[in-house]
Amino acid sequence: MEQTSYVVKNNGKKHKIEQFDRKILHNSIVKVCLSIYTPEGQAESTANKVCDKVMIWLKNHPEVTGHDIRLIATKQLQKYHPEAAYLYEQHHITI
Amino acid sequence: MGIPISLTIIAFSALIHASFQLSVSVLTLLSAHTIGTKRSQAKLLKLTTSFVFGVGVMTLLLLSFIALVFINVFDGKIPQIAWAAVCGLSFGVAIVVWLFYYRRQKGTMLWISRGFADYLNRRTESTRLSAEAFGLGLSSVISEILFIIAPLSISALVLIYLPPLWQLVGIGLYTLISMLSLIIVWISISGGHNLSRIQKWRENNKYFLQFAAGAGLIVLGFFVYVNEIIVSLVGKF
Repeated sequence: MEQTSYVVKNNGKKHKIEQFDRKILHNSIVKVCLSIYTPEGQAESTANKVCDKVMIWLKNHPEVTGHDIRLIATKQLQKYHPEAAYLYEQHHITI
Repeated sequence: MGIPISLTIIAFSALIHASFQLSVSVLTLLSAHTIGTKRSQAKLLKLTTSFVFGVGVMTLLLLSFIALVFINVFDGKIPQIAWAAVCGLSFGVAIVVWLFYYRRQKGTMLWISRGFADYLNRRTESTRLSAEAFGLGLSSVISEILFIIAPLSISALVLIYLPPLWQLVGIGLYTLISMLSLIIVWISISGGHNLSRIQKWRENNKYFLQFAAGAGLIVLGFFVYVNEIIVSLVGKF
């Protein structure tokens, strides 16, 4: 049976715990790839590869933060699409 | 103060304003979201144009409002204490910009209220209509008011002395020059330039822009101080 991981989200002073949703991560990676004009097919396959790696990492980490997931996803994305990885990392530190 | 000197001060203040980067950051994020959600190039152009227009309108309104307040408060004759105060503000903001403008970490995060930054982030993600992008442009100028207040105040004081027609020219000149950096990024994005390259350039040059803005404010404050206070004091003897 697959182990479920939980993501602790920091929403101001309150902490919210949610089940990890692969689809959210997948969509955000596809979005960042598309935003630098990557072809759709390549964006989808990159997102799948990154999500697979993140899922493997999550097996040993039942409780993580959104920040942890972003770090791991950026690290993996760096291997497949460095430019997208840069923009993905920058998303939360642009403003 | 003659018209050429007044317009030069206004143009220089606007250049300092242009080196502040919040609107450019929001435009970059807005474009990333729009392209990332597979919207058409026409939609991207519509949203970014509305955003740039919003920034322009708010800059114009802010400058006009501050000038109107000064006209009412000083009744057409600006006391030297007011010039000294705006020069002091300029020096103070320059030091604040040098010390705090960018957060000392990766990226281009600014020392603005995190509440404002989160609000702008959320609004950027949910912007679908041109009207929303226009509103986002308005709010992004307000969010940076702590930094742009110095060049705006000096320009507003200078504007008061100009004849009515030249006041309009001055307001237009300020608005246009203060938006130069935004317009350059807007043209780059509309022309299909890669967002990651734009962001990388901004990140690599952020400390230069920070230094330039602070130094510009010091020079501006010093020039206005000499021109309005020292010269008139020397003239009395």
